[in-house]
Amino acid sequence: MSEPLDAPYDPELGSLEAHYDAEDEAVNKTGTTTVGITAEDGVVIATDMRASLGGRFVSNKNVQKVEQIHPTAALTLVGSVGGAQSFIRSLRAEAQLYETRRGETMNIPALATLAGNFARGGPFFAINPILGGVDEEGSHVYSIDPAGGVMEDDYTVTGSGMALAHGALEAEWEEGLSMDEARTLAARAVKSAVERDTGSGNGVYIAEVTADGVDIQGYKDFDDVL
Amino acid sequence: MQGNSQQQAYDRGITIFSPDGRLYQVEYAREAVKRGTASVGVRTPDGVVFAASRSVRSPLMERDSVEKIHKADGHVGIASAGHVADARKLIDVARQRAQVEHLRYDQPVSVETLTKAVTDHIQEYTQTGGARPFGVALLVGGVDEDGQPRLFETDPSGTPYEWQAVAIGGKRGDIQSYLEEHYREELDLDGGVDLAIRALASVSDDPITADDVDVATVDVESGQYRSVPKEERERHVAEIDEEETDE
Repeated sequence: MSEPLDAPYDPELGSLEAHYDAEDEAVNKTGTTTVGITAEDGVVIATDMRASLGGRFVSNKNVQKVEQIHPTAALTLVGSVGGAQSFIRSLRAEAQLYETRRGETMNIPALATLAGNFARGGPFFAINPILGGVDEEGSHVYSIDPAGGVMEDDYTVTGSGMALAHGALEAEWEEGLSMDEARTLAARAVKSAVERDTGSGNGVYIAEVTADGVDIQGYKDFDDVL
Repeated sequence: MQGNSQQQAYDRGITIFSPDGRLYQVEYAREAVKRGTASVGVRTPDGVVFAASRSVRSPLMERDSVEKIHKADGHVGIASAGHVADARKLIDVARQRAQVEHLRYDQPVSVETLTKAVTDHIQEYTQTGGARPFGVALLVGGVDEDGQPRLFETDPSGTPYEWQAVAIGGKRGDIQSYLEEHYREELDLDGGVDLAIRALASVSDDPITADDVDVATVDVESGQYRSVPKEERERHVAEIDEEETDE
């Protein structure tokens, strides 16, 4: 059968593997603060740059934790680095295949549903990413939890620094932000977390998602964005 | 003697090419479609209409047990011509594929995507050893999430075609000529039902009755499949009868 009628939750390409042991000390984790904000003309996603082992040792100081997965959507890496990278590769391939087969891009709620299915059924243990994207309906931000929970919101935060970043966002987010305002707010929220959360630090990556595409830039110094 | 048996082998058993590049089994399957009673599809800006002839071989037979038009998902209908049993298997493929789209993406499947899933399935039966091609043609029609009505035809080779108005099954050529002559792009849904029934009536020897046709629509406004009840079919048939008496 060319269509996966019996396995609706599996990828159209390949199959999902068994789960790994997520508690291994040698597994790189992102710790992480990742922020997704809807704005009037798009979505801004900001992430810190630190990877750590067991939350005690900084194993990498220059990690890009937001990646384009679709012409107008990006996903953050939160949790196990290997799981998140594999998750991104799978979603990117599926979004590409969908587009070439049908001649139109997947809409963002469909992409979020697919991501939730994969998170629930797949080997991508211990991931908690944010999906942000733009489609004909407008700007969308979703958080996806390790059990496949998919929740849409105006703005959301995941990772070890989430409580700190939320504090900064809660007071300042409002309807109809411009992309520049959203960008400043996202960077400020990540900075709040980086100051106090040991799992987050070493700079910020910012992804701006609009109907025109995804633009991702990294900054070692917060002063360059704020 | 041997040459003769080799020649015959091209139209026996498995589907293989003849020396002049033809697939006889697929062509025979098309003949099976022609032996079936006709179905008509009409696309209008307000939605898609299906009409199918129902032939009942005995007055003791329950008319509703002759299934020619089926609901595949809330927003998609499928009409068939040819082997009803083969049609049922393909319609189940379509029904499952439509639900897979809900599970995978939480969205209704587009009519084009669904049609191509069905035609890909049909195609496998023209290339697989030991398999027989499907002796049925289908009309797959519905309304996409963006409100666009779409109408496709599938044939036994597994090729999809898109149409404004089309007939499949017996006397297809005559019905298609009728559609080509009378189809207008600005038809409303009721006009589409009228055209579809008239097209079937145009090749019928006896005056058509409401029991002879099965009609269903998927309208743009609701985006939902609807089987047209007998009272409405009677209204359309009565109009056609009146005009014929006037002539």
